[in-house]
Amino acid sequence: MTTFHDVLLILTFVFPLLGSLILALSFGRLSERASATIGVASIGLAALCTLWVGIEFYDQGKSAQTLTLWHWVTVGDFRPTVGLMLDGLSLTLLGVITGVGFFIHLFAAWYMRGEDGVTRFFCHMNLFVFSMILLVLGDNLLLLYFGWEGVGLCSYLLIGYYYRTPANGWAAFKAFIITRTGDVFLAIGMFLLYDQLGSLNLQTLLARAPEIWSQGGLMPQLTALMLLGGAVGKSAQLPLHTWLADAMAGPTPVSALIHAATMVTAGVYLIARMNGIFLMAPDVLLLVGVVGALTLLVAGFAALAQTDIKRVLAYSTMSQIGYMFLALGVGAFDAAIFHLMIHAFFKALLFLSAGSVIICTHHEQDMRRLGGLWRKLPLTYAGFIVGGAALAALPLVTAGFYSKDAILVSALASGHGVLMLAGLFGALLTSIYTVRLILGTFHGKPKSDNARSAHAGKGLVHGTPLVVLIVMSTAVGAQLTPPLDEVLPPGPVAEGMAVHILEFTAMIVAVGGVLFAGWLFKRRRDLIRRGMADPRGARLWTFWHNAWGFDTLYDWLFVRPYQGVVRVNRGDWINSLCNILPWLARASHQGLRTTQTGLMRHYAVSMVLGATLLLVFLLVG
Amino acid sequence: MSDVVNQGAMMALLAISPLILVCLTVIVVMLSIAWKRNHTLSAILTAVGLNAALLALLFGWTLGTVDVTSVLVVDDLSRFGGVLVLMSTLACVTLAHHYLEGYEGPRDEFYLLLTSAAAGGLVLVSARHMTTLFFGIELLSMPLFGMLAYTFRDRGALESGIKYMVLSAAATAFLLFGMALLYAVTGTLDFAELGAALSTRGSDPWLLAGAGLLLVGLAFKLSIVPFHLWTPDVYQGGPGPATTFLATASKVAVFLVLLRLFQSTLAFHENWWHDLLGFIAVITMLVGNLLALTQNDLKRLLGYSSIAHFGYLLVALVVNQGLAVETVGIYLVTYVLTTLGAFGVVTLVSSPYVATGGTADASPLHHYRGLFWRRPYLTAVMTVSMLSLAGIPFTAGFIGKFYIIAVGVEAHRWWLVGSVVVGSAIGLYYYLRVMVTLFLHEPGMQRRDATHDWAERAGGMVVLGVATLVILLGLYPTPMINWVNWVAG
Repeated sequence: MTTFHDVLLILTFVFPLLGSLILALSFGRLSERASATIGVASIGLAALCTLWVGIEFYDQGKSAQTLTLWHWVTVGDFRPTVGLMLDGLSLTLLGVITGVGFFIHLFAAWYMRGEDGVTRFFCHMNLFVFSMILLVLGDNLLLLYFGWEGVGLCSYLLIGYYYRTPANGWAAFKAFIITRTGDVFLAIGMFLLYDQLGSLNLQTLLARAPEIWSQGGLMPQLTALMLLGGAVGKSAQLPLHTWLADAMAGPTPVSALIHAATMVTAGVYLIARMNGIFLMAPDVLLLVGVVGALTLLVAGFAALAQTDIKRVLAYSTMSQIGYMFLALGVGAFDAAIFHLMIHAFFKALLFLSAGSVIICTHHEQDMRRLGGLWRKLPLTYAGFIVGGAALAALPLVTAGFYSKDAILVSALASGHGVLMLAGLFGALLTSIYTVRLILGTFHGKPKSDNARSAHAGKGLVHGTPLVVLIVMSTAVGAQLTPPLDEVLPPGPVAEGMAVHILEFTAMIVAVGGVLFAGWLFKRRRDLIRRGMADPRGARLWTFWHNAWGFDTLYDWLFVRPYQGVVRVNRGDWINSLCNILPWLARASHQGLRTTQTGLMRHYAVSMVLGATLLLVFLLVG
Repeated sequence: MSDVVNQGAMMALLAISPLILVCLTVIVVMLSIAWKRNHTLSAILTAVGLNAALLALLFGWTLGTVDVTSVLVVDDLSRFGGVLVLMSTLACVTLAHHYLEGYEGPRDEFYLLLTSAAAGGLVLVSARHMTTLFFGIELLSMPLFGMLAYTFRDRGALESGIKYMVLSAAATAFLLFGMALLYAVTGTLDFAELGAALSTRGSDPWLLAGAGLLLVGLAFKLSIVPFHLWTPDVYQGGPGPATTFLATASKVAVFLVLLRLFQSTLAFHENWWHDLLGFIAVITMLVGNLLALTQNDLKRLLGYSSIAHFGYLLVALVVNQGLAVETVGIYLVTYVLTTLGAFGVVTLVSSPYVATGGTADASPLHHYRGLFWRRPYLTAVMTVSMLSLAGIPFTAGFIGKFYIIAVGVEAHRWWLVGSVVVGSAIGLYYYLRVMVTLFLHEPGMQRRDATHDWAERAGGMVVLGVATLVILLGLYPTPMINWVNWVAG
């Protein structure tokens, strides 16, 4: 019996789907305004449903609920369900997706004004939200995988939104292909799970894993490794991180929603959801932390040397997700999800503010051509200041402080000192690139006509999302505690002097980093100039600007060997081997086609022949 | 005493009331034509009659198995088949109404033929005796000759009708000869008694010859290799609605009677008999798909594809254990829906009838080039149908194919499963080719288009509804599975 509550839960993803379908089936007949209204309203309704679902969830004592809608196919034991599971974890994600998603959609209605194909934009955005909700609500890995591929597809479509520029198409390809590499690992992980544990249901899996597997055995390690492969692809972590910066080719609201707030954190969700598997594979879990720590450092350095404001934010996203992975790696699943939520607030704010800058300065997003905007765009500036402060985790007043602090404390408590130090150092980098970003964009003299003729964004559609997200990025947002107690295992706890020292150090690092960067970029630009003049400094800058040269590395490691093999194999005997199949098919086709003479007498003869053969077989055999 | 008899008679009457209603429809439409020719009126009368029959069928479901006479049985399976036959016929009526609007000759008689053929289909799915089998098949086929050659001034249609007629006659000869041999040996024509006779004297060469010839006759109707050669020619030439009927109602009815025949002669199944059928299934799948490979004519392509699909269906028949009956049911439902979608689009694009340069229908694939840019919804329907025919997940076709493979795997029939996979892989190629064609930019070639108001026509609505069903059943197949399980169980 489906209750009203269940219906609401279903409606959370039905509304976006409906919105997407209506927009898709309109075939461009809707006006821009109508498209935007439908696109935003569907997510708004989904957000309201989520709110209601959340309230009832709290009323009912935060217990996990499952809702099996139907069995997709029923063949013997294989009965994949289309079922939903609502618990603290999925509710948190659901809230982020529909809540933050709604404000981003609202902002997009302003951002996309006058663009070509607004209907297409909102259709894909709604479809994205639908897939993302299925990803987090699905009670089995098959549904999760469906959502996982759905968001990947929408990501591809939206990165390539301005498809008339070939580079954007290539960026979309890159994102799609690299994340697909990860998806293959995820699929293998799913096969392993089904083969070993005989189910894909999340709860069943977590219950059966300890019964069937031994702690730290080969199978759990292998499975966890495969799941991790899927997670790093989706969440742009080392070594599958190279696509995210290029993904900024999409419209900025897309970057805010997909490449900052929701989709790229799917990997974090996956690992947190499969925590039981990862806890049985301690080595892999540690690897998760190491991957996170490395990524946050690599991305932090890369962010220092970017000139495009969106690319700075992209690298900072990678770096922040690195923090989440670090938290996961030390077993602090709740801290990771908490940071995921807070990060969604402030990074969405930063991206939307960046979008505001871009529109207000006539599509200028290069820091070298911006500057001096803070008087002209006060609200946007406020968004950057608050978002940046949260990103840099300035103590006490910002939301980011609380979530990042929790991660560092967990790292300390788990005894992984190196990871903790990496986190601290990353915090310093964060402060520096944030200040550099804000100073470069808003202070100094305007460095181009576009910056000089900037005009502030007007209207509620532009202002509301920024104001709401500004509020959520302050300590107010940190008051929202995800109800994770019953879903995730408790993280490592530490008390005593060490914690206070760490917290204090973290504060000093954040504030000190900001002050240092302010001093460096404001007062002693000559230092930087001198550093850049030095060939070694310039080389370092280029190195970081290209994000440690991973693209080049992969070019050498994968693309060139591949091309080399292709060149060697120009005659392509493998392909010739494979071509036997089509050739065979075509030859048989040609052969068989000659039987289709169109002459009735031939047809009749073939019937007689066939009947004769049949009889001979029956009587002799 | 007489009460009991009367009650039995009532039950029997109720049970075959759909058949009676369909026959009544034929008479009413005929009288109405005699009184006054009115194309729309005839179509409406036919639709009303068929709907009434469908309702009677659904209400009759509570009756359970009713032995109407010793030659007809109305049970869940025959009702299931009846629903499919009547639904397809109804879809054909709606399509025909739009299609025939442009035809100058007499239009109303088409509905007479269509309804008579539907009556034949209803008899066939209830047959449990060779006489009814024969009667049903002929009642189904004879009107089809007329339907296929209905637009007889068109050379293609005439050719199609004549080819089908002559070859059908040959197939009927095989069928009759097979029956005669069976009767000569066993002295009975009842399915169950034949089954008993076959199980005891299975190796009698005359019996085997009889069974083989019977199979030839039925295999012709189902276009099983090597009795398939007529299919593309007939599909290509026949008018859209007639081909639609041939591809759906006619094949479903014949397949269901074959299934019933198999069910009654279970004990007859020996290994080599399975091997023979398995071999036929394999070559049917492969040949059907291979023939379609570079086909540039959509109707021919669909013809070849239907050959392949009945090859897949044969797998369930060969295995004939476990989920086989469910599989047949589910596959038939998905096949009928998908085929209605595909042929519906072809018919709508060819509607209203215009005789142009030899071909009346938009049959060549290049007529569909760039259809997306002109008729996006129609293209969506075609795309969904192609995906479903190819068995892509989230369409009904996938569910059907999944069952086929599951049945094969369960019975460890690896050759069959392998052929299904290979066949599907080949199939993907030409289904995708059709889809690509739909989305290409048109080069300004000669083309046909559905009329602008196609979606407001009954036929258009049916086609849209069918496409929606194909998607819905792909996502949420539970009702279909439950229904079929209930029928089979």
